[in-house]
Amino acid sequence: MGKQQISSEDITIIIIALIIGTLARLLVLKEDYRQYPSFPNGYLIQVVTGFVAAALGAVAIPALMTKNFVAVTFLTLALQQFRDVRKMEKESLTELENTEYTYRGSAYIDGIAKTFESRNYLAFITALCTSLVITVLPFNLWVNGAIGIVVGITVFYLLKYFTKGKSIGDIAQVKPGKIEVKDSSLYVDGMYVSNLLGTENAAKLVKEEGLAVVIYPNEQHYRINLDNFGQRQAALFEATRALGNKRWNFTRKDYEEGRIIIALVPIKQDIDALIEVVKKCPLLESTKKADEILKPKLKGEK
Amino acid sequence: MGREQSMKPDYKVLAYVTTNKDRVIASAGVALFATSEKDANEMTVDIAKGLKADVVQLTNGDYMVIRV
Repeated sequence: MGKQQISSEDITIIIIALIIGTLARLLVLKEDYRQYPSFPNGYLIQVVTGFVAAALGAVAIPALMTKNFVAVTFLTLALQQFRDVRKMEKESLTELENTEYTYRGSAYIDGIAKTFESRNYLAFITALCTSLVITVLPFNLWVNGAIGIVVGITVFYLLKYFTKGKSIGDIAQVKPGKIEVKDSSLYVDGMYVSNLLGTENAAKLVKEEGLAVVIYPNEQHYRINLDNFGQRQAALFEATRALGNKRWNFTRKDYEEGRIIIALVPIKQDIDALIEVVKKCPLLESTKKADEILKPKLKGEK
Repeated sequence: MGREQSMKPDYKVLAYVTTNKDRVIASAGVALFATSEKDANEMTVDIAKGLKADVVQLTNGDYMVIRV
């Protein structure tokens, strides 16, 4: 075997780390009510980029151990690749904006793109840790491999827990709203929403087929998140995406009590699904505020 | 509406239909005079259908065809 050739031990380390890293990406790649990424093309793209991320993580340690210090550039390569994933997602979703029932909004797109980027980091770090543990442990390869797999799985769950975001259902109650049409205006639970129902047909359609939910924040400070236009647009988008949208969709906030209204004329008449989808809508990272650090203690205050 | 005004949706007034001649003024959209309430209603619905737009009925009875 020549000096430049990789040893069979290194190949085993790389393969184990690569499998664990790719599995980590696969386990967080789920198609849920949001229907994104779409199956099968979106899946394939994400699995392949996840595989590449895991490969970068798996190869870095064995390369360094063979005094191939150029391998450090792998890390910069990884960063660049992950940034490209975010950019790709952002561009793709932005281009789709005009073809959806309603806008996702730039805040939501940014959140989705960041999630895809971070999931590649997850695959990378899991593979890197697995590879590191197998390399540094003093036992034989198979024992090291088994411990490496356990460490990889633990790192995966820790990262998954760490990156898990909250949803609207965690900070607010979502209840069905009563739709009324007075003159040409739409009201939900007595709150004005829109006056776009100027024709008889419009009023009739909304009265007969319109659905609405009202979001009640659990605490007053949660209004900072819920009042955010991007957050409301994200909830409205998920509602139209899940139930379809025959005509009209509205979101409105109540300044006095902080209620948020989501109203639409859906294709699928299912109020329970509408409540569920709004509850599950993720809280956008850009709207997140930690209430505790919004109450700074002044000098002398206890 | 604060910040929302500068964000999508972007409203455009496409037509204004009124039964009062005094309110027919030149503007970016078409301002039309209707001879009766029924006429105004029919004109508005036809324009809205053709332009795939929404209709707002003002308190004074006039119609505004807008696109969101």
